Amino acid sequence: MATANLLSPPSSIPPPTALALSQKAPKILANPPTSSLPWPLSLLFSRETPESWAVHENLFFSALRTGDERSAHQILERLESRFGEQNERIITLRGIYNEATAQTDADLEKVFDGYEKILREDPTNMSIRKRRVAVLKSMGRTADAITAVTVLLQNSPTDVEAWAEASELYASQCAWGQAIYCAEEVLLTAPTSWTAHAHVATLHYLSTASNNPPSLGELSLALKHFCRAVELNESYLRGFYGIKTVASKLLPLLSDTQASSKKRGEQDDEDVPIPTLTSVQKLDELATKKLGEIIRDFGSKKKGQSGYDEAEIIAAKELLNR
Amino acid sequence: MAFFGAVLNTVGALFLTHAVYSAHEHTTAFVSTPLPLDITLELLLGVFILSTGIVVSADKLKPIQYAKWAGQISREGRKPEGKYTREGEEILGEGDPYAFLGLDGGIGGKGEGRRGFWDVKGKRKEYDEWVRGKQ
Repeated sequence: MATANLLSPPSSIPPPTALALSQKAPKILANPPTSSLPWPLSLLFSRETPESWAVHENLFFSALRTGDERSAHQILERLESRFGEQNERIITLRGIYNEATAQTDADLEKVFDGYEKILREDPTNMSIRKRRVAVLKSMGRTADAITAVTVLLQNSPTDVEAWAEASELYASQCAWGQAIYCAEEVLLTAPTSWTAHAHVATLHYLSTASNNPPSLGELSLALKHFCRAVELNESYLRGFYGIKTVASKLLPLLSDTQASSKKRGEQDDEDVPIPTLTSVQKLDELATKKLGEIIRDFGSKKKGQSGYDEAEIIAAKELLNR
Repeated sequence: MAFFGAVLNTVGALFLTHAVYSAHEHTTAFVSTPLPLDITLELLLGVFILSTGIVVSADKLKPIQYAKWAGQISREGRKPEGKYTREGEEILGEGDPYAFLGLDGGIGGKGEGRRGFWDVKGKRKEYDEWVRGKQ
């Protein structure tokens, strides 16, 4: 997965990949997609495609992260001359450039004030609102970032990306209830996303993992969402890994409560259906089998041929050997 | 298989064109006689070969079931389609449609999803530390 592709960059970019991506800058900067001829001719001889601008944008991001500010500036100028400085997306890119080149916290504050100014002129610019959240987060002011993202969500409650961000922000503060609420809002808009289901399940699991004994209801919900994730994706490593981890916590708990017999039926305070011991055991076996298959499958393939990350496979191996 | 499909398509198109031409010629030359059997047969054969060729040269079918389709993406990753953009970047097949949610890296993961909230400062720091660690 470490192939450096600027058109569709991989889902996680470690520093070596970022370097490989930004090293493509000279070649792309040397060949502008727009024609340099005067107006009517430039329309005929233009070689631009939507893809070339996606490539430019991704190159801009990787140039900024590797500190290649000169290339980033050139790309930004090229984009500005093509789409105009008042374009919402260009304003945002210019903002990201300013953030990246800000040396001190005071500079970053200045960029932040600039965003406030833009928003006073045009309060509907959603991407600048998102930038504000990102700046607050990178300044370490997570509480303010949460406030900013909730304001954004009040104005635009169908923005899934913002709900997902809010969920992660709350989770970083260990506010599990709020994090789960936001993640469930994501599920309302994207009910077929296996990653969103695994995210909710992880939150349920983490909210009770440090408790002793862990809450049966939370663990059952975690198991339920992990099961839904693998129902949507039959080779989802994270889903099977989650099922196995949750089952290892649930099994001793369930056998204890079954030993102390039917008392559970009466004190059923939450309306979460608790799975039976045998079904959890079966799920555990299924997850073990599937994880084994995935690991074997990964071993038989050549490097870069598989969709799985090597670190994920190593973690799964460790879980199976435990 | 693509080559075989192309051959079938070419042969089928030739037969079809020839049959249509013969039919036209026949109807202009002998107005009141019925169409001879060989022209009809050639037409049917041409249509059959051409449709077989189109089916054979079609792309591989995608899994219909959501779980299988998603499983294929997870197992095989984004496959190259063999086409390139002008910049020399390979065009890849489809990936996770919800990657933009950025939820695949786990809590506090380092995924590249959620581009709107992209933390440029954090990524720069990560890169700087990597460079310094290498020296």
